[in-house]
Amino acid sequence: MPLDPRRVPGPEESQPPLLYAAPGQAAAADEAEAEAGALRPLLARAGLLSQAEGSAYVELAGGTKVLCAVRGPREAAEGRGRLLCDFRRAPFCARGARPRPGPAAAARERELGLALQEALAPAVRLARYPRARLELTALLLQDGGAGLAAALCAAALALADAGVEMFDLVVGCGLCRAPGPAAAWRLQPSAAQERAAAARLTVALLPGLGQVAGLLGSGQGGPPESWAQAVRLGVEGCQRLYPLLRRSLLRAAERRAGLPRGLPPPERDPPDRPPPPEGPARPPPPDRP
Amino acid sequence: MAAGFKTVEPLEYYRRFLKENCRPDGRELGEFRTTTVNIGSITTADGSALVKLGNTTVICGIKAEFAEPPAESSNKGYIVPNVDLSPLCSSRFRPGPPGEEAQAASQFIADVIENSEIIMKEDLCIANGKLAWVLYCDLICLDYDGNILDACTFALLAALKNVQLPTVTINEETGLAEVNLKQTNPLNIRKHPVATSFAVFDDTILIVDPTAEEEDLATGTVTIVMDEEGRLCSVNKPGGSGLTAAKLQDCITRAVTRHKEVKQLIDKVIKSVK
Repeated sequence: MPLDPRRVPGPEESQPPLLYAAPGQAAAADEAEAEAGALRPLLARAGLLSQAEGSAYVELAGGTKVLCAVRGPREAAEGRGRLLCDFRRAPFCARGARPRPGPAAAARERELGLALQEALAPAVRLARYPRARLELTALLLQDGGAGLAAALCAAALALADAGVEMFDLVVGCGLCRAPGPAAAWRLQPSAAQERAAAARLTVALLPGLGQVAGLLGSGQGGPPESWAQAVRLGVEGCQRLYPLLRRSLLRAAERRAGLPRGLPPPERDPPDRPPPPEGPARPPPPDRP
Repeated sequence: MAAGFKTVEPLEYYRRFLKENCRPDGRELGEFRTTTVNIGSITTADGSALVKLGNTTVICGIKAEFAEPPAESSNKGYIVPNVDLSPLCSSRFRPGPPGEEAQAASQFIADVIENSEIIMKEDLCIANGKLAWVLYCDLICLDYDGNILDACTFALLAALKNVQLPTVTINEETGLAEVNLKQTNPLNIRKHPVATSFAVFDDTILIVDPTAEEEDLATGTVTIVMDEEGRLCSVNKPGGSGLTAAKLQDCITRAVTRHKEVKQLIDKVIKSVK
């Protein structure tokens, strides 16, 4: 592994302690079995960063945390408006080995950045921004499963917070299917379930228009009907998340109207606790048979 | 009217405030912005901390891995800091490999760790010559509004205090390490270095905790790192206008008071988490 002269040098090779742990301990302790159709509670907050035109933070219960910032529109030379997306994973975001920052990690993230861009492009009115470019950076701070889906939600919120003209918000939902012939698709899997899955799918939806903006799936999913059912499940999940994202945008606009940007709000919880999730963050439970 | 003047003549605008001994955001010359810290929020990391200094936000995540000790000192481990300044935090940074400011910040943090002996690298050694801990400290700036060095040092200190390392025993027969994830120990933090940064205006006026605008207008910057016994760990003055010895002494005095404030805050947070 050649040493990168731009970074503080470390050892040539290192292994994560998980490799040496006794087998029983490696499994995560609390894997609560949620119902297949239940969505994890979601916290979404827009308008947090002072230096970006628009920003959003999305957190899924169980540990997925994504922060997204939008800059622009900036001047660009070419004729059409462009949306440039950059998806980065923090080195400490996953349990297990720390991926070394460098060209190898960048190549891995490029596919996800492209997926983000392709899902967001239908929603943004790029025709209104000729000769301009919008730069979007998404940072995955902690991966607890459904990272790309959470990044999609955060990216759409950040674009809306920046005042970019959009047709609709993009909502993302992740699904995975455990190995086995009769396994069902689960919504918003945890990190361990995603690792062990035979097939994964991320659905990006424009809920107001009812249009699917992006689909990224891979693995052995079984017959085509199974994939069709997965897409339907994903679309339903996105529809249920839509009101939460809209509410967070509304709150951000109220905050901006009430207080000057950048100053902390007057009443603050003790600074050592993360902000509590909004009251009705749990989406309505699925209809029981 | 004021906004127009500020755009056209930012330095003059600033001088008007400095003459009255205050700054546009209402602070005194020696006053810090509101500092908040939140530890242990990233559960996939072995230790983590999020520090907000006004708008400047830095998150530090520490991951511990195994490696062979370096050849020249077989009883030491590694601490590898990495400061990441990306387009997420400010438009002045380009995507790609670390730029100048990120490299300088990473080197500064590495020097602070080395000079202040916050952790003895010997404590990180598990088996002499065979196995040692590597602590990868990744400091990601989420929002850049000046004074990045203070925020990074504070985040690093808070995250190191939060680290829990699993117990490791070397199996005598196989010679392999055996890790017990259920039993964890905190790190032995020997010293608590705290950084205080100043910006120099017109070669004479010193202001503490500069914002990004103030840093751009300043003629020089100084960063002083103190530890709890009032000892100086490091002074970082990358060029810029000269400082008299008296002014440097004022900086050191302010750094001592800042250390007390930060130490109090960190103790309160650690106690509340327990």
